[in-house]
Amino acid sequence: MRALRKLVLGETWTLPLGVFLTLALALVLDAVAGSTSLWRHAGGFLLLACVLVALAVSLAPAWRRAPRR
Amino acid sequence: MATIGGVTAFLLTLAGAALAVGLELLEAMAIVLAVGSTRRPRDAVIGAAGAVALLALAVVVVGPLVLARLPLEPLQVVIGTALLLFGLEWLRKGVLRLAGARAPSSSLQEYLDEREAMEALPPPEPGQPDWPARIVAGKGVLLEGLEVVLIVAALGAGPEGLAPAIAGAGVAVLFVIALGFVLHRPLARLPESHLKYAVGVVLSSFGVFFLGEGLGVHWPGDDVALLYIAVAFVAAAHTQVAAVAARHAEAPA
Repeated sequence: MRALRKLVLGETWTLPLGVFLTLALALVLDAVAGSTSLWRHAGGFLLLACVLVALAVSLAPAWRRAPRR
Repeated sequence: MATIGGVTAFLLTLAGAALAVGLELLEAMAIVLAVGSTRRPRDAVIGAAGAVALLALAVVVVGPLVLARLPLEPLQVVIGTALLLFGLEWLRKGVLRLAGARAPSSSLQEYLDEREAMEALPPPEPGQPDWPARIVAGKGVLLEGLEVVLIVAALGAGPEGLAPAIAGAGVAVLFVIALGFVLHRPLARLPESHLKYAVGVVLSSFGVFFLGEGLGVHWPGDDVALLYIAVAFVAAAHTQVAAVAARHAEAPA
């Protein structure tokens, strides 16, 4: 089970959490503004931005922590 | 525009499937070769074949059920999310490896580690099945194979259908099996870290693209969007590589 969880969710909780938060935000926006032109034309770029932020947050520990040599 | 978009999607799917499947199979092959060279090769092959049979059964049984029951748009959301989960993890590890904050990916090292672990076990009894060898080889192939099946199925749901995903996977399978037969060990000089980074970019790009399509978003340029999404991922990941590498370079000696 541990190997399967690592396979699906990876080594860190921040990335899956970021992906699911992006999905949740997108579903809410789709429900609220799904029929508007703004969502249809800008929604994709919003998704891309959220995913890039999730990637950056998952890498934040590596910026902060320098290796011991 | 439609032709350029179609060709872009076809080539990205083909390259993504070939690279992802090839790298996963290299890892599976490293485990099977390590088990086969330290224990009895026959038991390693039996374990691997059992895992392949289980995966084939899962594909034949689950695949048509999912495709028949789920409408296209929810399916795109599920596939997009799955591709993002895989792709971003590959990309995160790729950034850390290229920045020197994580050991480079090496199937050869995995092969050597697995050999060491298998050599520590008591030898198999003559005439008896070697269950540890079968289980280790089977588990390795099952886990890597599951990722292969998910990635090929997800990429196959793209605008160009299953053809480029299956073609890419087929090329990778033939390449890795030929390599195993010829060398009997993984390649030492394959730039696995860079290739995995590239796979992370491709899978993440398809993930965002599908998620948007499934939620009714219109991508300017249609399939060409895959290109500028990939460029955005490369730019963001390179910035991260530079930031992490600079932080590590500052570390006291």
